[in-house]
This record gives sequence, structure tokens and C-alpha cells, in this order.
Amino acid sequence: MVTFWTLAPIMVLAALGVVLARKAVHSALLLAVVMISLAITYASQGAPFLFAVQIIVYTGAIMMLFLFVLMLVGVDASDSLVETIKGQRMMALVVGLTFGVLVVLVVGQGVVGVSVGLGEANANGNVYGLAALMFTKYVLAIEFTAALLITAAVGAMVLAHRERLVPRRSQREESARRLQEYAETGRHPGPLPTPGVYARHNAVDTPALLPDGSPSELSVSRVLRARGSVREGFEGDVGQTLRQLDPDDPTSTIGGSTPRRGGSGRTEES
Amino acid sequence: MGADYLWSYASVAVVGLLGVALAAGMMGLNRFLRPSRPTREKLLTYESGVDPVGTGWAQSNVRYFVYAYLYVIFAVDAVFLFPWATVFAQIGWAAAVEMAVFLGFIALGLVYAWRKGVLTWT
Amino acid sequence: MIHPLLVSASAPPPIDSPTIQYGDLSPLLVVAAVALLGVMVEAFAPRALRFTIQTALAIGGIVVALAATVWVGLGLDRASGDVLARGRVVAEGAVAVDGPSVFMWGLVLLFALVSMLLFAERRLEGGLSAFTGQAAAPPGSAMEREAVEHRIEHTEVFPLAMFALVGMMLFPAANDLLTMFVALEVLSLPLYLLCGLARRRRLLSQESAMKYFLLGAFSSAFFAYGIALVYGFAGGFGLGDIDQAVSNRIDGQNLLLAGIALMAVGVMFKVGAVPFHAWTPDVYQGAPTAVTAFMAAGTKVAAFGAMLRLFFVAFGGASWDWRPMFWVVAILTMVVGAVAAVTQSDVKRMLAYSSIAHAGFILVGVTGAFVGTRDASVTSVSSVLFYLTVYGFSTIGAFAIVTIVRDASGETTQLSRWAGLGRESPLVAGAFALFMLAFAGIPLTSGFIGKWAVFSAAWSGGAWPLVVVAVLASVVAASFYVRVIVTMFFTEPTGEGPSVAVPSMATTAVIVVAVVVTVLLGVVPGPVLDLAQSAGAFVR
Repeated sequence: MVTFWTLAPIMVLAALGVVLARKAVHSALLLAVVMISLAITYASQGAPFLFAVQIIVYTGAIMMLFLFVLMLVGVDASDSLVETIKGQRMMALVVGLTFGVLVVLVVGQGVVGVSVGLGEANANGNVYGLAALMFTKYVLAIEFTAALLITAAVGAMVLAHRERLVPRRSQREESARRLQEYAETGRHPGPLPTPGVYARHNAVDTPALLPDGSPSELSVSRVLRARGSVREGFEGDVGQTLRQLDPDDPTSTIGGSTPRRGGSGRTEES
Repeated sequence: MGADYLWSYASVAVVGLLGVALAAGMMGLNRFLRPSRPTREKLLTYESGVDPVGTGWAQSNVRYFVYAYLYVIFAVDAVFLFPWATVFAQIGWAAAVEMAVFLGFIALGLVYAWRKGVLTWT
Repeated sequence: MIHPLLVSASAPPPIDSPTIQYGDLSPLLVVAAVALLGVMVEAFAPRALRFTIQTALAIGGIVVALAATVWVGLGLDRASGDVLARGRVVAEGAVAVDGPSVFMWGLVLLFALVSMLLFAERRLEGGLSAFTGQAAAPPGSAMEREAVEHRIEHTEVFPLAMFALVGMMLFPAANDLLTMFVALEVLSLPLYLLCGLARRRRLLSQESAMKYFLLGAFSSAFFAYGIALVYGFAGGFGLGDIDQAVSNRIDGQNLLLAGIALMAVGVMFKVGAVPFHAWTPDVYQGAPTAVTAFMAAGTKVAAFGAMLRLFFVAFGGASWDWRPMFWVVAILTMVVGAVAAVTQSDVKRMLAYSSIAHAGFILVGVTGAFVGTRDASVTSVSSVLFYLTVYGFSTIGAFAIVTIVRDASGETTQLSRWAGLGRESPLVAGAFALFMLAFAGIPLTSGFIGKWAVFSAAWSGGAWPLVVVAVLASVVAASFYVRVIVTMFFTEPTGEGPSVAVPSMATTAVIVVAVVVTVLLGVVPGPVLDLAQSAGAFVR
């Protein structure tokens, strides 16, 4: 009982947090709290196997899936709280609360007696008792779970795996193609110009300057350009640049007037 | 059941607490011993002397999701193996067949993934 | 300090290995094997051959499974101590192979057979199937165009459909709640995937898959919670155990009632009953039409089968508790389905609302809960089985016609664009009109006999006010079916009018079969009605 009354409030609060947190990361972390607390509750009720499963599958594997999804949608992604149907949130709140109260009342009234038969079921050990059922009485359900898992595998690959339709070019073929292209169109066969070279800054978001002083479009990663985070305003403004270089000026942008934290500038290759 | 049963988890709790205490102690000691004079440049992420650009988060490709998914499938698979091992001796060859069928199904999923080129680095 | 709960001190007793009656389960096993073989074909067969192999494998497998079903059906013995039920419980109590199970196996296999023909249609898209070539490529991207240029197709749809088919066969036959839940998931998961694989209007298709998945997962959670509560009440998963516990109950009904309600939410979501119907129009509209046909016919059979078994076998003793709930849901479903269908301007959405209304009519039969007397009146089970047969074939036929009414951008699903179809192609329009008349329940079509069967079962079960409401709802429903016919035959086409693409033999065969079945079951319903009647009752 001590375990239950310690964990139950934590679980309820964390579960509320899962729903109410604006940021997906916070929701995921709170969900982990719920899952681990649930695992401990299982353990305290004589179900050590379920405890292990909860940790291995849910807190381990399923949480990892969640985190992958977070990586896809973005750590900073937060819910848009604009209602598309007017009054929807209010309705959902009322209906949800009503349902919750109903379930709590009904189940609460139903579960009053003490549970019996646990010792009998766990006579030869909890895992053994469970396994004896799984591999005799419910073996068909277990085998069909395999069908479920293989469907999931096939589905994940159908939806997320792109098959390569044209064979991958080797280094040799690639260089031959580049020279061929150079001969035909005059496109430079070498690598693209590096960012920051001949410019006044060395970060990757700063375009290299061409001999005439104009920034070279090619020198900045396509991804940065698409995000619109390419630095501009380097042309001819010596005064501003000098101010930027001044370490004592609080508005100096070098080193960041807004320190960008946790930043590796790497972008995922796609 | 009851108090006696819960006590069997005491060693687990002690190991867990020891682990947390060890990590917290080492980090905390570190913090107290070292001088701390942060400047803007020091707080920047070090990237070979080049200023970092953008935020720390980079959108990952959806194809990596497949690895996570395959991992989940095999985690579930492993979960079935644990109880199976405890009753294998009591049920006998039928249990071996049951598990072989189950694993065979899932292995087909892996074969499919392999043939689709999911498991090779591209 | 190792606790005895974790490791036993003495050697545990030997366990009897389970006995599985492979013969009785052979239809299920054949389909499962075909699905697994299909995955292997995907892995090893060269791309050019895959489509042919998969089609042949799926259709061949279904035919073999049908033969096995007939064999199992002929071998059913009378259950001991029961006058009506035939069959037995196999696989350690996990599956009930009885008359209704075998009938529904045959039914979903037949539906799957004709649906596979729709899946195999390649002529309408210029030699490609109606499924996207590269689901992982974002809609409208260069990668998508590349996939189209290379003319690739996702032939995984065949094994996925086979997995769904296994689930559809296991769901109504499951005799314990655990197997039933696994079957529900096996049936649902491939369908979620299939919904998102349309070649045209991919965003709509992906949205429908997402909605179906989220709401489906939600309803599965309700179902699972219901199972937990019922287990808490009865102390067992077997439907027979639950039946005993329900019959012997004295007090403490709360758990049972809450469990019944939550499990009802799960199955009613699957059949698309109001108020759990919200997904139906979006999913029916967005999914590839071949998948919609398969889903509309197959899922209804499976879900109603499971609903019947659950509520007649396990909760039969509590029918006074659940019947009022079914009354309300049946009335709501019929009324909302029929009224909402009237306002639809899209053919697929109209058919979706029509399927909701039909779910309501079938619920009328279920609510009757009429188990039959010694004289040969139609029971609830047999009337529902017959209605499902009738509805399934007409629905697949109607959706097959939706696939061939096209313009340059794919299927023309706007109802206004169907104006003048009767002039463009009297045969196609005539077939569609026939299905509409069958849906409306006009005499001499199968729909009339189906409606008559469920209504008479409900009447015999004492639910006559429900029958009155159902007849009124039928009249409202008939109005929009007639509106479609008027649009097709008596309205001037706007612009150039609809065009009917010439499909391959596969789709043509589906439409012909659907037309023949719709007419035959309307004119001579006797044999199939007898078959449904002789399927009898559930074994316990």
C-alpha cells in the first residue's frame, strides 16, 4: 500500500503533465516517469515479469520510438493551440471529465474486495506461471502476435524506407561525370567554394566573398539558405564590421549578442 | 507476499541509490573544485574554432525510424523468450516448435528488411 | 536474497503441450502462410515478376482457403447438449469453429477474393496498380516523380491484405478475449497501412490513414480496458467462463457493466456505429477505392461476427443490461447515417454514410437478440449473416464502379460530375443503380431480403419499436439512393460529362459477380438464407 500511495500521486501528476505540457520533449519525459512508476507498481504487486517487460519494452523500446519521432518533428516543436472547431476544447474537457468520473466511480465501486488467488497463480514462480499459460492455453494468440510484428515491420519499411531506384555511382564514375560536365558546360569540377573564406567571419553561415565583394551563393549550404539563416550585410560596411569586431561593445555580434547554446552547426545529410 | 516480498527488492534499490550517489558525488566534487569564470566565448559550443550556426537540433531522417521500429519488434520478441526459457523443459519439444514458429515469422520480417536494403549503409 | 516468487525451490511439474486442431484451423493457417510467402516474394522475387506472383499467390491462396473452409464446414458435428449449435472449440479454447464462424470465414474469403481482383486492376492507371509506387516519397516531390518514371508499385499490399484477412477470420471466431484482442489488432494494423497507399490524392489518403490509425488505436484501448474489467469480474478470458460468471452473478455488477460498455465501444467503432462513426467518411474517401471496398465489406463481417459472439455467448446472460444501449446506438446510427448521407456531394462519402446507416440496420438485428424457436423463423445470428452477405457484395460492386468513373486526375467522385452517366454508359450506370436499389431495399434486390430478415428477427425478439424506426430510416435512406439514380439518368451533364474508363477483366468480373449476386439473392434468396439458418448458433 505504501508503494501505491507513493507512486499513484506521482503517476497521476506526470500523466496530467504528459497531456498538458506544451513541449513534446517534456511530455515524453513525463511519460517515462509514468512508465517507470507503473513498472514499480507491478513489481510491488507480485508481477516481476511484467515489471521487467514494462522496463524493457515500454521504457526502453517504445520510449526510444517516441524520441525518434521527436527528432523528426523537432525538440522545440510545441502544440498549436488554435481551435479549428469552436468550443471543441471545452466540449472535450466536459466529456472527458464526465467519462473519467464515471469510470472512476464504476471501477472504484467494483474493486472493493481483496484479490485472491495470486499465491496460487505464482505457485511455481511468477514467470513460470505466466509462461505455462502463454505456451499452452494462449499459444495461438502468441503466434498471431508474430503476424502483428511482421506486419509492423513490413509497414514501417513501406512507409519509411525509400528504395534506391538508380544504382549508386562509384567515386570513379562520379569524377568522370564531373569532368564530362566540365567539358560540356564549363561547370567547375572541383568542390564548391568554402564558406567564410575571404569573408569577415569564419562560420558556415557566412558566404565567401567573390573578388568583386559580392557574396558567393554557392559557398553556403543549401539547407542554411532554405532556412534563411545566411548572414548578410557584409558588403562595404566597414564601420559596422569594426563595431562587430569590437569585443567591448555589448551589441557585438561576433561571439553572438544572443549566445547560441548547444549549437553544432551540422545539418543532417538527407 | 507483503513486506517480506518487497524487501527482496531492497538490494535493487540500494544499488540504484549507490549509482545515483556515485555519479552525483563525482560531478558535484568536480563543480566545487574547479574555478568558474564563464565568458560568452567559453559558453559557445566548440566546433574547431568556428562559430556554431543554428540550433543544436537537426531534423533526423525518417528512415532511421525503421531501425527504432525493428528494435522494438525484437525487444518484444526477446520478452517472449524469457518466460519461454522457464517452461521449455516442462513442455518439451512442442515448446521448441512453438518458439521456432514465432521466431521464424519474425525472422522473415528481418529477411525482408535485409533484402530491401534497410540494413546496409547508404 | 532471492524471493520464491522469482525462482521456485522444487522442480515444477511438467506441462501438457497444447493440442492444436490443425485441420479445423486450416483456412486460417493457409491464409497466414500465403501472407508470409507474400513477404518472402517481396524479398526475393525480381521486381518485374512480383505483381504477377503476388496476385496469383493471393488469389490461389484464397481459393485453397475457401476449399478448406467448405471442408471444415461439411465436417462440423452437432455440439453436445445443444439443439442448434454445431462445431467445437479448438486450440485450447482459443477458437470456436462453429456454424457462424465457418459461414463468416467463407464470407470474408469471398469478399477478399473479389477485392483482390480490384487490387490487381492495372489498366485504369496505364499499366500500374492503384497503389503508390514509393510510399516513403513525399507527395509531389521529385522522388515521387522518379518512382512514377520507373513504374514501380508497392506489391506489399497483397501480403498486407492477407494479414488483414487472417485477422478478419480470427476475430469473429475467437473464443477468448485475449485471442479476440490480438485478432482485432491483426485485422486493423494492415488496414491502417493500406489506407495510406493511394496513388492519386496522396495527402488525402495519408490523412485518412492517420485518422484511422489514431482513432483505431483509441478504440482498441477502450476494448483492452473493457477486457481487463471483464476479466476482473469473471476471473477468466474464455467466453464460456464469462458466460458462467454472468449467469451466476449476485452483485458486483459494476465491473461487468463497465467492461461491457467499453468493449462495445471497441467493436462499435469497427462497424462504424454512431457515435463512433466519425472516422468512416474520411477514411472511406481517402483510402484507395479497392481498399475501401475490402474494408467496408470485410471489416463489417468480422466486427459484427465478433460483436454477436461477444454479446450472445459471453454477455448473453446480461442481455437485459446491454440491450437498451444497443437500442440507442442502433437508432442513432440509422438516423445519423441516413440523414447525413442525404447531404453528401461526394460518391465515396455518400457510400460511407450509407455504410453507417447499414450498420444501424444490422444493429437492429443484433438488438433483437432473437435466438430462435423450433419452428424455422429467422434468428438474429442468421439474419445478420445474411445481411452481411448481401451488403458486402453490393458495396464491393458499388466501389468497383467508383474506380472506373474517371477523368484526367483519377476517379471522379463528385456526385455532380456523375450527371449523365446513364447516357455515357448505360450498363455501368445501370449496375450502379441496381446497387443503389439494393441498398435502398427495393423488392427483387438482395437488399430487400436482407432488410426483411433483420427486421423480422428484431420483431420476433420483441424490438418492434426499433423496427418501426428502421423502416422510417430506410425511407429516408431510399431518398438519397434514388437521388443518385436521378442524377445519373435524368440530369443534364455539366461540361463534358463523366467518362467511364475501360477496366481489365478483373474489375469487370467483380462488377458482374456483384450484379449477379445482388439479383440472385433478391430473386432466389432461399439457398443462402438456408445456409445462414443452418449455420445455427454459437458453440460455448
